[in-house]
Amino acid sequence: MTARAPLELVCPAGTPAALHAAVDAGADAVYLGFRDETNARNFPGLNFNRQELEEGLAYARQRGAKILVAINTFPEAGNPGPWRSAVDDSASIGVDAVILADIGLADYAVRKHPGLRRHLSVQAAASNPEAIRFYQEAFGVKRVVLPRVLTVAEIAALNKKISVETEVFVFGGLCVMAEGRCALSSYVTGVSPNKDGVCSPASHVRYEDQGDRLVSKLGDFTINAFDEDEPAGYPTLCKGRFVAQGRASYLFEEPTSLSAARLLPELMDAGVTALKIEGRQRGRAYIAKVTAAFRAAVDAVARGEPAPDLDLGAVTEGQRQTAGVYDKTWR
Amino acid sequence: MTPKQRTAPPFSPVLLAGLAMRSLPPVLLQPALDAAMTAIRRRRPGLFDRISCLENPRFLIDPVDLPFAFILVPGPENPSLRALRKIDGDMDAEDATATIRGPLLVLLDLLEGRTDGDAQFFSRDLAIEGDTEAVVALRNAVDGAEVDIVGDVLSLTGPFAQPARRAVDMAGGLFKRAHQDLEALRASVISPAMRRGKAQADRMNKLEDKVNALDRKRRKAGAGKA
Amino acid sequence: MNAKLTLGPVFFNWPPENLRDFYFKIADESCVDSVCVGEVVCSKRAPFFEPYAAEVIDRLTAAGKEVVHSTLALIMTTREMDLVRDMAACEEFFVEANDIAACALLSGRRHALGPFINVYNEGTLEYLAKGGAERICLPPELPEKSVSALAKTSKAELEVMVFGRLPLAVSARCYHARAHKLTKDNCQYVCAGDADGMEIETLDGDPFLAVNGTQTLSHAYYNLAAELAALLAIGVKRFRLSPHHTDMTAVARLFKDVLEAKESPEDAEAALAELVGGAPFSNGYFHGREGGRRL
Repeated sequence: MTARAPLELVCPAGTPAALHAAVDAGADAVYLGFRDETNARNFPGLNFNRQELEEGLAYARQRGAKILVAINTFPEAGNPGPWRSAVDDSASIGVDAVILADIGLADYAVRKHPGLRRHLSVQAAASNPEAIRFYQEAFGVKRVVLPRVLTVAEIAALNKKISVETEVFVFGGLCVMAEGRCALSSYVTGVSPNKDGVCSPASHVRYEDQGDRLVSKLGDFTINAFDEDEPAGYPTLCKGRFVAQGRASYLFEEPTSLSAARLLPELMDAGVTALKIEGRQRGRAYIAKVTAAFRAAVDAVARGEPAPDLDLGAVTEGQRQTAGVYDKTWR
Repeated sequence: MTPKQRTAPPFSPVLLAGLAMRSLPPVLLQPALDAAMTAIRRRRPGLFDRISCLENPRFLIDPVDLPFAFILVPGPENPSLRALRKIDGDMDAEDATATIRGPLLVLLDLLEGRTDGDAQFFSRDLAIEGDTEAVVALRNAVDGAEVDIVGDVLSLTGPFAQPARRAVDMAGGLFKRAHQDLEALRASVISPAMRRGKAQADRMNKLEDKVNALDRKRRKAGAGKA
Repeated sequence: MNAKLTLGPVFFNWPPENLRDFYFKIADESCVDSVCVGEVVCSKRAPFFEPYAAEVIDRLTAAGKEVVHSTLALIMTTREMDLVRDMAACEEFFVEANDIAACALLSGRRHALGPFINVYNEGTLEYLAKGGAERICLPPELPEKSVSALAKTSKAELEVMVFGRLPLAVSARCYHARAHKLTKDNCQYVCAGDADGMEIETLDGDPFLAVNGTQTLSHAYYNLAAELAALLAIGVKRFRLSPHHTDMTAVARLFKDVLEAKESPEDAEAALAELVGGAPFSNGYFHGREGGRRL
C-alpha cells in the first residue's frame, strides 16, 4: 500500500463554538452560513454574524484551516439584497470560498468578485457532467458538492468526465430527495429549503403525548408516532412513517444517518477531492466527535490502511447508519 | 451516554442545590441561581443575543430526577432563572413557551456542550413540549456559548464567590459516588418519568427516597472531611 | 385576449396505447395551445412510448398544437444523459429543459424551461433567457409576489402551473418500488398501477401525498382557476395544466372559459371538483402559504 495525499475534510459549524471544535478536532475546512435566509440551515439561534465570521476566520487561519461560506438558497425575486451582501461581505472578509446554488447569484459573484473562489452547492443538484460543465464554464466554479443521488461507481465515472474538484457527503442527515428540487416542506409549512433555508421547521413541529404513544406533527400532518420504548425522531418530513398500499412504513427513508466511512478508500479511488460532514445544526459535541473520527479515518486511508470502524452510533439519528445511495441497492 | 464516555464529572450549583438543599424552600436557591445567571451573562454576552429572534420566551426546565424544576426567562436585558418545588404544584407548564424534561445529568451535559441535543432527543433521553422552535433556538444558543458552569461560577467575585467555591470543593470528593447513584437513578426513570400522571407521581416518590439517601451520604462525607 | 394553455407532460406511467389515445383526443378535441410530450420522471419508462411518439407528434402538429419536447427532471446515469443529449440534438424540436444539463445543451437556441429548473429571481431568469430560454414555466412554489416581480422584467414568456397535483420532489430512489418491497432496478413497473399516483396517507389516515415512481406529488390538486384574473393582471399569459386520468379536454375548456370570462371561477371549480372525483384543491403557494392549503 502506498501513501497518498489525504482527502480534504470539510466540517460544519453553526456557531463559533462549533467552529472551534471542528478546527481543534482536525477539520481542513469549516463551512458555515450567515444568520439569515441566505443559507440552507437558517435555524433559530444558529449561524454567524459578520464579526463572528471574522473571528472564526482568524481562528481557523492560525491553525491552517479554511473557511467556506454557504450562500446556498435561491434569492427571492425583487429582493436580492441579503444574498448579494452575503457574497460581498464574504469577499471583503476574505473567506476561502463561497458555496453557491443560484445561477443569478453565481453570475453576480463572478462579475463583482472574480477573485473569490466559488464552489457549487449540493442545492444546485448538478448530478451529471453537462450540468457541472455548465457551472464551470459559466461561473468558474472550482468545486462541485455532488448531490446525494449518485453511487460510488457513478461518481468515479463522473470524475473522469469533468475537470473540477468534487466534494461528497460522508456523514450526517441524509436528504432522500434531490436537493434543491424538493418542496415537501413548503407544501406542509409554507417554508422551504430553497426559499427560506429551512426544511421541516421547528416552528411547525409539535410533539403530542397521547398516553401510549408520542406523536410528532409537522403543520397539520402526523409525521410519526412512537411507542414508549422507541427512540423518537425529529419530524423531518421525508423521514416520517406513512401508509402506502395499506401498510405503514418509513416510505421515503428510515430514520438513519449517512455514514460512508467504510467507503473512504473507494471514494478516494473515485477521484473525489473532499469529504463533507453534514450538521451545521448539530451541537459542538457532535462536531468534535465526528470530525475527530473522520480525521483519523482519512489519515489512515491516506497511509494505505483500511478504513477503521467509526464508533459514532450514539450521535446518529435513530442510532442507525446507512451508506445510503452510494450503494446501488438503496434506490 | 455511559459514564465511561465522560471525561470530567459535571457538577454545578444546580446539582449541588438538588442534592444538598432538597428540603429547603426554593427561595433559598435563588441567590445561587442569580449568581449563575450573572456569571453567564458577563462571561457569555452573545448567548442571549442568539435567541433574540424569540418573543419573551419562557422555558420550564424539568430535571425529572430532582424535586425542583426551573423557569428560565432568557431575555437579553435581564435573564432570570428561578427554582420551583414540584411538590408545591406551582409548576405550571401552560405558562411556558416550552418545557424541556430529562434527567439532570443529560440536561447538564447538554448545557455544557458535552452532548448533542439532537442525539439526546433521538435516543429519547429528553422530552420536549410546546414551542419546538424556541427549544431549538435555546439549544443552539447555549451550545454556541461554550458554557462552563463551574468555571463561570468560580470566576465570580463578591459575596457569593466564597460559598460557591466551598460548595464546589466539598462536592468534588463525593461526586463520583453520587454520580454512580445518579446513573442508576437515571436508568430507572428515563423514559417513563417523562410521562405525566399517576405513574410519574409514584416514581417521583421513589426518587425522593433515593435523593434522601444521597443526601445522607453527603452529610456523612462532609463530616468526615471536616 | 391572448392567454394560452399548455398541457404539461404526463408524469404518470400510463400504458403506451392509452397515452397515445390520450394525445389523439387532445389533438382532436381540446382547446390547449401547446402540448408537452416526453418522459420527465423515470428514464426506464421512456422506451415504451417510443413506437407511438411520431404519430402522436404528427397528429398534434396537424391539429395546430405546438409540441414541446419535455426532458428528464433528474439526470444521473450515462444512459439518461444520452437520452437528453439526443433530444437536445434535434434542432427542429422545441425542447423543454428540466435539468441544468439540458439548459446547457440547448444554450444558443430557442428552448423552454420546465418547472424543475430553479428560476426564483430576476438574475437567474435573465441569465437563462440570454441562453435562449424563451418560455419559462416557474416553480409552483413561487408566491404571487415573486411571480409579479419576475413578470415585470422578464424577456421570456412566463408560464404558471394552474391545475394538477403539485410535483413536490424527485429522488434517485423509487418509492413505488419501495412500497412494493422492490428496488428501482427490479421495479416490475409497479407504478403503472396508479394512474394518478399512489395514495400516501399519514398514520392517522389523512390523505397526504401521491407517489409516482421517483417523484412525490401532492395529494391535493393545485387549482388556480380563481387566481387566473390576478395572474393575467400581473402579466402572465400562459398557464399549465398538468395531466391527470380524467377528461383533460373538459379541464382545459373550463380554464379557457374562465380566462375568456365565459365562466365564473366558482362554476368552473364545481365542475373541476367532479372531474377529479372530489379530491381537495389547494392554492396556498400562490398566496405565499403552505402549498397544500386552500385559501
